[in-house]
Amino acid sequence: MAEVRVERLVKSYGAARALDEVTLDFPDGGFFGLLGPSGSGKTTLLRAIAGFVAPDAGHVFIAGRPVEDVPVEAREIGMVFQSYALFPNMTVAENVGFGLAVRKISGAERARRVAEVLELVQLGPYGARKPQQLSGGQRQRVAMARAIVTRPRVLLLDEPLSALDKALRVDMQIELKRIQREVGITTIFVTHDQEEALSLSDRIGILRDGRLIRTGTPREVYSAPGDAFTARFLGEANILRGSVEPAGLRLADGTLLPGRATACMAVRPEHLRLTAAEPATSHRLRLRLVQRIFGGASGTAVLDWQGQRLKATGPDDTFADLAEGQEVWASWTPDRALPLTD
Amino acid sequence: MAGSLERADRRRAALMLSPAYLWLTAAVFLPLSAMAFFSLLTDVPFGGRDWAFTLQNYRDFFETGTYALLLWKSLKLGLIVTALCVLIGFPFALVLAKAIKGRAREALFLLVILPFWSNSLVRIFSWAIVLRGNGVLDAAVNAILPWEVRVNLMFSQSAIVIGLVHSYLPYVILTAYLALQAIDDSLIEAARSLGAPRRTILLRILLPLSAPGLIAGAVLIFVPVVGSFMEPRLLGGRVGTYYGTAIEDQFVAVFNWPLGAALSFILLAVVLVILALATPALRKAPT
Amino acid sequence: MTNRLLARLGHLYLGLILVFLYAPILVMAAMSFNRSEFYQLPFDFTTDWYAKLWHNGEILAAAGRSVWIAGTVTAIATVLGTAASIALYRHSFPGKALLRALLFPPIAIPWLITGTAMLVFFFGIGLDRGTPAVIIGHVALALPYVIVVVSSRLATLDPALEEAARSLGARPWTVTRAVTIPWILPGIIAGALFAFAVSFDQFVVSYFLSEPGDSTLPVLIYTSIRKGFTPEINAVSTLIIAVSMALMLLAARRVRFGGED
Repeated sequence: MAEVRVERLVKSYGAARALDEVTLDFPDGGFFGLLGPSGSGKTTLLRAIAGFVAPDAGHVFIAGRPVEDVPVEAREIGMVFQSYALFPNMTVAENVGFGLAVRKISGAERARRVAEVLELVQLGPYGARKPQQLSGGQRQRVAMARAIVTRPRVLLLDEPLSALDKALRVDMQIELKRIQREVGITTIFVTHDQEEALSLSDRIGILRDGRLIRTGTPREVYSAPGDAFTARFLGEANILRGSVEPAGLRLADGTLLPGRATACMAVRPEHLRLTAAEPATSHRLRLRLVQRIFGGASGTAVLDWQGQRLKATGPDDTFADLAEGQEVWASWTPDRALPLTD
Repeated sequence: MAGSLERADRRRAALMLSPAYLWLTAAVFLPLSAMAFFSLLTDVPFGGRDWAFTLQNYRDFFETGTYALLLWKSLKLGLIVTALCVLIGFPFALVLAKAIKGRAREALFLLVILPFWSNSLVRIFSWAIVLRGNGVLDAAVNAILPWEVRVNLMFSQSAIVIGLVHSYLPYVILTAYLALQAIDDSLIEAARSLGAPRRTILLRILLPLSAPGLIAGAVLIFVPVVGSFMEPRLLGGRVGTYYGTAIEDQFVAVFNWPLGAALSFILLAVVLVILALATPALRKAPT
Repeated sequence: MTNRLLARLGHLYLGLILVFLYAPILVMAAMSFNRSEFYQLPFDFTTDWYAKLWHNGEILAAAGRSVWIAGTVTAIATVLGTAASIALYRHSFPGKALLRALLFPPIAIPWLITGTAMLVFFFGIGLDRGTPAVIIGHVALALPYVIVVVSSRLATLDPALEEAARSLGARPWTVTRAVTIPWILPGIIAGALFAFAVSFDQFVVSYFLSEPGDSTLPVLIYTSIRKGFTPEINAVSTLIIAVSMALMLLAARRVRFGGED
């Protein structure tokens, strides 16, 4: 177990900067999610920590020691690959025991530890199977078992759940979190799925174009995204732009939102309240309900405001008394308006 | 209605398939059967000759020992050439598949299979020019070494082996390369992340996973080498008597066709056994 | 060992093997431009051997025969092979796996066996050695190659395309002409080039099936070499290898041998 730190990490591929001076601490025993769109550099960062990518500049520290000169096989990491990368010529037990065999851990000790970790991932009876005979979720757990059985200092997960279908993914999220808690290993994982990042991580970091733009706990980042990109990338956001006046924010349709203002702000769809009657607050907009979308437990209202698409969500019956095409009011409490830099 | 549609479909399929398969039957499968028949005769059944059924041709093979010895010699040659091709070709395929990227890899791959598709007779002939005494190899070696040596590999077993390895090396490079390329790089990365050194990755991941391709390549080499006759003739001269040349002689020099047919048929049996043994691997190999 | 050193060694190894593969061919080509009849050095450039070739009636006739045979074989094998491939692609019927498996004996059985078997059988049914026998034999050898190459191209054809054409009212032949053939044309061309190469380079089967004095170019070369070789044979061999390599380069541009990246 160890903390990981990257310092001013730079990596370029030709003219493209995959990592641009990234400095970041991954606390010991924590579950850290790296989130970003494709091409943001999150996978490059993970692979640089693993040692598959040699950075052009900067340092990677594991347990306080720089590891630039340590090859992958000596870094004592565990890694779960997007495709799981299970060795097709070996059984589940042989796959899991591979790292132990490489470390010259003898038969009996090896068998005990393999059995133990297979038990941990609830695959006890599957040791003799070949990976090809397992379901996607089972393969994922074998990959996990194989990565943690050597008791690595850091566990790196590259889109660990992206190959699974949605229902299974939610189950595996719970499973992954449980295993990580039981083992208590420093874990860094990469995902482009924001829900996954929010539900799994203790802390998240958001990357864009090779730069780290925001870190914090999922709750912090969600409730105070800080910039328009993060607000839209992590959850959905209705972005409102206007000009700052002494009295507040003046929007394009003339509405004045009173109070302290920034030129750009966001309101989450779940914080927009739709009413036919004008609400008793000045934090409101007049707009048109374009479409109501039934989504089971919750519903979504698609709105048109000055040609801009906005969204409101809530329990489905919230929008029941509003008709499509109708002019409505959308309002929110002032503390739900998130100030953003653009 | 459905029935007549299906019948029309079947008729169309049969119409498109039968010319090709009738041709194959007439030119390959019937001749192979005819050869089995011929091998049981005392003399050719045409030209007004007297003929009868006999097992004498097969008895000749097992009793005189000459042909059995030649077959054994050819099998040994097959093993040597196959082993050399695998030992030389696998590292080549490994470097090509895992250490070279993009256009360079494509170009190199093409360079390897290009001679493989060119005329094998001519390539053997080109070795004759290189290997003969007073030849190019002789001149090259003497240009480098300060003392005089005579390099004349021509008409020796070495010449035959060199020529055959040259002819068949691309096979094993081709099949091993395709097998190695099909191995996902993330498997190698996973092994490294688990602390495996290079040797372990080679022995426990790359070799086992490319084994079907290697076996396919080995079979594709072994089978024709056992049946080779042109290469031993041209490069071996007097020492170039093998099972293949014995068969050739029966057909073009001695004109004992029934014996030739029996010898051919025995070779076919050997080949079929080898192919049958290798079938599981051949089926798994990427083509 | 460091990675860089290992990579260097790897590249060096690739280079050595390529030298091994190409050196004899290049030496042969160079010697066909050397004046000495006994391949003696120093090198003295001449094109005499090619000029002599031009006046050697026997070689020219054999070359002409080889090209003519290869052309005929290509035409027959490509048409029959393409038809069979399309049928194998479209229809499923019992025995289909067997039909596919039957393609391999002609490729996998040594040509020595196939060639002698053809000789015995053709003689038995009264078809003497000669060009017709050679053509029949070559077509049989080329067919499996055409079917394999065309089938691999067909495997990339989305069955929905043919179904879409039929749902729009196209009859089977129209589907073949308007949808299937255009898509697999690169495969057909590659298959045709393979067929030409198989026939043009074929020695063993031709050797047993062609009539002495009326043989194909490779057979003529073989018999000449056994009599003692001359730079003339060298020159014609150089031409043959240039032709077959050019053919394969053309085919390679249509079929991707390297697989996907």
